[in-house]
Amino acid sequence: MDKAELKKRLNDIQSLPTLPPIVSKLNEMVADEDITAVKLGKVIEKDQVLTSKLLKMVNSSFFGFPQRISTVSNAIVLLGFNVIKTLIVTSSIFEVMQASDVGLFEHSLGCATACGIIAKMRQIKNPEEVSTAGLIHDLGKIVLRSELPEEYEAIVREAQEEGLYMRQVEKKRLGVGHGEIGGMLARQWNLPERLVFPIEFHHKPELAPEYKEIAAIVHFSDILIRAVGFGYGGDPWVPGLDHVAWERIKLSKSQMREVIAELDEKLIELQDFTLEIKVEG
Amino acid sequence: MQRIPIKLAKAEMVLAKDAVTPEGQVLCGAGTKLSEELIARLKKQGVLVLSVKGHPVKEPGEKSLSERLKALDERFSKVKKDPVLRALEHLIGEYWIIEEKGEDFLEKLKASK
Repeated sequence: MDKAELKKRLNDIQSLPTLPPIVSKLNEMVADEDITAVKLGKVIEKDQVLTSKLLKMVNSSFFGFPQRISTVSNAIVLLGFNVIKTLIVTSSIFEVMQASDVGLFEHSLGCATACGIIAKMRQIKNPEEVSTAGLIHDLGKIVLRSELPEEYEAIVREAQEEGLYMRQVEKKRLGVGHGEIGGMLARQWNLPERLVFPIEFHHKPELAPEYKEIAAIVHFSDILIRAVGFGYGGDPWVPGLDHVAWERIKLSKSQMREVIAELDEKLIELQDFTLEIKVEG
Repeated sequence: MQRIPIKLAKAEMVLAKDAVTPEGQVLCGAGTKLSEELIARLKKQGVLVLSVKGHPVKEPGEKSLSERLKALDERFSKVKKDPVLRALEHLIGEYWIIEEKGEDFLEKLKASK
């Protein structure tokens, strides 16, 4: 498959029912400057299924709010509209992934958790946005899996047989890696650049035109979550570290110990969350 | 820290987190040492799971510490030359050893090397 054909296949995904119609309505509403969180919340709350999914996500341990968030408008105020919109856009994709690839689902949740811990430690203004970037950093893999399942299988197999990273095989077979594919889609779906760049450049965070710090946190969180062995991202190896990005977000040994301990606790809580999803279906 | 169903709780275990009811009501704080009476009372109040310090309960199918350390090393096999990542592997291994065997064990291990 050449790049043009791949691009066309990906373009078609935009018209799939995965993108809830409510998203375009919300986009219009956000463009209106007088819109309030309460008004936006009311529109979302009309869709009860979406609302319950959304509230489950915002109350999960990777965002780590001490009190329960019980209304959508409350969630918008606390997490910001970028996060809520991303969760809505990706909710159906995650549903598919929960059923078809628990390993990748857990890898994504775990990466989001690590991102949140590091973002808070670095006192980034909206750490929930960084968590969200972590949550969808492997969007490219998720989409490859659902849209080009045979190709995806072949990539996973070759990665295992040849002892290569997934993205090396993707580049060889498709001409692009899952980072670029995820970035392409996120852009098509009008997600903000603060999320698009970290997805696109999570393996090469220094190439991001902007938001290098968020990209660097996602890059390192991906490494960290694979290192501790939580979830499964398609191949079993810890990816290489970009040292320029590391200089940007460098953690001391004692900070690293703190992050490892906090991550361990949060991952235990996260298992309760994934269990709950499995039980409730 | 380990999350365990309350029926596996035993006296002498120490809470790593507050004991809470499913409704979110806090009944006793982190650091509390459990006794048989306390466990019975928590059960009565509807507590289902507890977070306890260390790793006192062996779960079925659970990997041993040495198996986990070996798997950790294999996951790092492609990045062995990177000093930052080597340090990361080391810190994760140390954390697991302390969690399961305690700080003293790690010190002895270091001294014996």
